[in-house]
Amino acid sequence: MKYSILTVFLSVAIPSFCSFSALAEVAVVVHPSNQVNLTKNDIKKIYLGKMKNFADGKVILPIDLTEGSDTRSIFNTELLGKSSSQIKAYWSKLIFTGKGTPPINVKSESEVINTVSTNPSTIGYVDASKVTDKVKVIIKF
Amino acid sequence: MKITNTSILIFILTSVIAFTSKADVKFSGYGSVVAGQTLDDGERFTADFFEVGQYENELTFNAETMIALQLTSNLADNLMITGQLTTKGSDEFKPEFSWYYLTYFAENDWTVMLGRRNIPMYYYSEFYDVGFAYPWMRPPSNLYWWQIVQFNGLHVSKDFSLGDLSNNVTVYYGNENSEDNKEMGFYAEQGFYDTAENKAIGVNENWRDITGVSWNISGDFFDVRIAYMEHQLDRDFVMDNDTIRVGLRTSQKFYGVGGSLDFNPFTVLFEYNYVRRYDTNQEEWPTFLLSLVYTWNEFQPYIVYSKADQYRVFGKEYEEHTLISYGIRYDFANSASLKVQFDNFNDQGHEPSGWDFHGSSDTLSFGIDFVF
Repeated sequence: MKYSILTVFLSVAIPSFCSFSALAEVAVVVHPSNQVNLTKNDIKKIYLGKMKNFADGKVILPIDLTEGSDTRSIFNTELLGKSSSQIKAYWSKLIFTGKGTPPINVKSESEVINTVSTNPSTIGYVDASKVTDKVKVIIKF
Repeated sequence: MKITNTSILIFILTSVIAFTSKADVKFSGYGSVVAGQTLDDGERFTADFFEVGQYENELTFNAETMIALQLTSNLADNLMITGQLTTKGSDEFKPEFSWYYLTYFAENDWTVMLGRRNIPMYYYSEFYDVGFAYPWMRPPSNLYWWQIVQFNGLHVSKDFSLGDLSNNVTVYYGNENSEDNKEMGFYAEQGFYDTAENKAIGVNENWRDITGVSWNISGDFFDVRIAYMEHQLDRDFVMDNDTIRVGLRTSQKFYGVGGSLDFNPFTVLFEYNYVRRYDTNQEEWPTFLLSLVYTWNEFQPYIVYSKADQYRVFGKEYEEHTLISYGIRYDFANSASLKVQFDNFNDQGHEPSGWDFHGSSDTLSFGIDFVF
């Protein structure tokens, strides 16, 4: 009995405590023509709606993967430092007071690559293994 | 310039007609289904002062359950219209367009909003009803106790950076005339505004020239908001002999600072407000809250303490209460959370003069907050 409780506990606890970074690497990508230099903190601000323009003044259009995507979970916990529901709570304050609009959601990583490769205003993130030469990687973590 | 309901509605309708593009309407929303009751007979706990949402010693879903549907539509590239249709248990689930406003996004991160919105008075004032946005069941109700929370007005705001800090400064102006105000009506029922001959059966509360400014500063691990607001206050009592008795002709000033500090996995939430009324009583209301939240995966156990005081030129023997609440939030889905909260309301108001009319109470509430 003791053994089975321990097994149940560990099987629940280990995945919840382990960092996702062991599973995959995420790459933040922009249009190849974009000469932007962004720190992790800048990217965090962009995805929380606190930084709206690139250094050259162009409006930034951040692209998010839809909820449930593993890459999105890694991005949220590793870079934004919040769980998906905490991010949602953060945005719900802004959405329902008219103070902000969350990033556009796209369904797949290939769609992120396509959108970013065709629109120089966008920024996105994908699993590092899905990067192609149509986009430029600015940071990996 | 007087901003009234009618003038705003006319302005919004003309704008909608002027831009009769086949604009897409986007729907979203939020809601809470909450049940609760006080633990002892004869106790009453006001969870929502403005709507007079109260718990007594019988389980009810009506004190705080509510749902809001938000509709937004872009009338032009930089012009958006927003409406919120809300329905609340405390208002017998009567649907009401409680928010409607236009947003104009100007150059250089300037934004102009015109219409009906919540007054950005305290830290949680604008999103008090969006339970999913904060850990607690509700922001401590003994601070969020004002009888006017919405107004028709004009907001101008600017986003800017100072070094690594994100800033927003908003200035606003507007009016709100609330005839037969619900919360004031509850106080009238307690007999506070009766004369020797007549009973007050209703209260007309008019807040004119509501003028304020708030400044939000956020950094990597903190978020602070400093606010100031003032307005003219006209209050009249409707008496049971069909006469109107003049209550107040005065003004009020609000000062506040509030925010959050993130020491992952702990979050500290705090707020201090001070309100001054310039009537013969020279009333003052200092209030504050302090909360500690611990985040463990999808769980957030928390504690929040709040205190409200009332002073007059004659002394401090008036309204005074503390509220200590313990609870837990569990995000069982990305868009929904389960909350359980215990509230210990301790009424320390001056008993001989009846200022302890709220009464102490212990209340248990549980519910689900969601967004869609």
